[in-house]
Amino acid sequence: MPVFAVAGSGTREQVQDLRLDVHMQLVDTPRAATILLVAGAIPEELAEALARLHDSIPHPRCTVWWPLGAPSGAWLGSFPHHVAIEDQVPGRLTAIQRELLSGQRPSEPPILPDVDAAPWRGVGPFGQGGTGMTGGTPYGRPMAELGPDRDGLRLDVLPLTVGPFFPRFPAGLVLDAKLAGDILVEVAVRDNPFVTNSVRGNDRAGRGPFLRALTEPVSLAELELARARAHLRWVADALAACELAALGLRVLRLATAIMPGDSEPVESLARVLGWTQALGWSTRGVGRIEAAALEGLGAGPVARASGLPDDLRAQDQAYRDLGFEPIVQAEGDAAARWRQRLAEATQSLELAGRAGDRRTIPTGSIESPRGLLEPAGGPAARLLPLIPGLLEGMEWGDAVTTLVSLDLDLEEASAAAGQAHGEAVAS
Amino acid sequence: MILLGPVGVALAVFVAAILLALLIRVSGDVQRHPALAVPERSPFAGGEAPVVHAWNRYHARYYVMALVFLAFDMEMVFMYPWAVVFVREGGIAMVEMGMFITILLLGVLYAWRERVFEWA
Repeated sequence: MPVFAVAGSGTREQVQDLRLDVHMQLVDTPRAATILLVAGAIPEELAEALARLHDSIPHPRCTVWWPLGAPSGAWLGSFPHHVAIEDQVPGRLTAIQRELLSGQRPSEPPILPDVDAAPWRGVGPFGQGGTGMTGGTPYGRPMAELGPDRDGLRLDVLPLTVGPFFPRFPAGLVLDAKLAGDILVEVAVRDNPFVTNSVRGNDRAGRGPFLRALTEPVSLAELELARARAHLRWVADALAACELAALGLRVLRLATAIMPGDSEPVESLARVLGWTQALGWSTRGVGRIEAAALEGLGAGPVARASGLPDDLRAQDQAYRDLGFEPIVQAEGDAAARWRQRLAEATQSLELAGRAGDRRTIPTGSIESPRGLLEPAGGPAARLLPLIPGLLEGMEWGDAVTTLVSLDLDLEEASAAAGQAHGEAVAS
Repeated sequence: MILLGPVGVALAVFVAAILLALLIRVSGDVQRHPALAVPERSPFAGGEAPVVHAWNRYHARYYVMALVFLAFDMEMVFMYPWAVVFVREGGIAMVEMGMFITILLLGVLYAWRERVFEWA
């Protein structure tokens, strides 16, 4: 059934795993959906955008909330109608869709008022004609302002806000862009909505090993397996963003099934992707970041793809005993970041196979799959300020490729803070 | 058919066409769906509302490429009569066509320098 899924705090992987079920069809636009699935807690800042998303789903529609450990009432403020489900998500969603289509379950009314922000009616008897078409405000909406083009012409600069639920971007990322044709001429990134008080202090039991490693010893084998899986999950998402969704699904299946020491499938995947010229053309030379710009940001694979041997694991005695050395690439473009993550996935599986019962010593910071994670913030928070400078002047397609290759997780920082907070409360 | 005669057939077709048009019109009215609410109509770009109209005057860059293509298309047209007389005229025709293509090629190089072939 067609589902538009919104991944709230800490639910990215569970939502991604829904793709593995043959009955689930995660669609990219609410127009194609019947069910709006909201997982976890959504910060209040995104409530209005979520309501707009809900209202743009055609009838019959239904909202389903999958709490996944989020406290009840974390999100329900503006949603008078919804169904909460705990488990057996695909089965329950199928049943709900059947009820909707057979008329047993009424379609949900809109949340936002049916009021046009820019009402307009022409002079003719059918509302046609008048100054609206040619007077600079077609159908009551102002047209984009003019800006200089590279040919010396003055053409429209279209303001466009993308996100927070744009399916190719991490949940919560909002870009205020200005487009001249296909080119981004101005980009601003809004504040991370997850770093607010409205989602902090959630019940974060059962979070991943990297968050636990901030405060307690965790086995190296578990950490490295989780790292390899996280990289493969990124590859799965990035392939879907390249419109190679079927291959992405296979990689996702691999990510959930791979075991320590079993690096051969990942190596062959890296070979196949290396041969794939369609991927090479869309990533080579795209989104190049100089090493100097990433110095001290703890940007993990992104920094290492630009040639910075920046890895907390290199300072850990347990990793040094295993002969760990950071892998680095030189180019620093999106293609290098693809290669970097695949190489690191292979390396992590090998490390996990040899790690035995070694454990980390909690130091308050950890090298997560996305970079240096500490309670004060994750790598996404440090990479966000780079984005406007990186994307300006790019074509829209390249901008999406670049953003996907950065693997931002806006929610990770608040999760790390929540983990530290939870520990402090517990002790 | 024979009973009706040619005028009768034309009349029958005329009446049938009018009835069909009315039928289509009435069935459209019967099936009419309620108008979409404003949030249902607004374009989706991730959950935020658009602020300006989507009518957007942007640079159709392919038109310069189209002009360059046209120039080479005409060159091919010149080549047909040239190919007919080429054997008779020999080397001199070869040199003339070489000059013609070189001049066109200089034009392409100029267009390249002016970033005509950049799509965006």
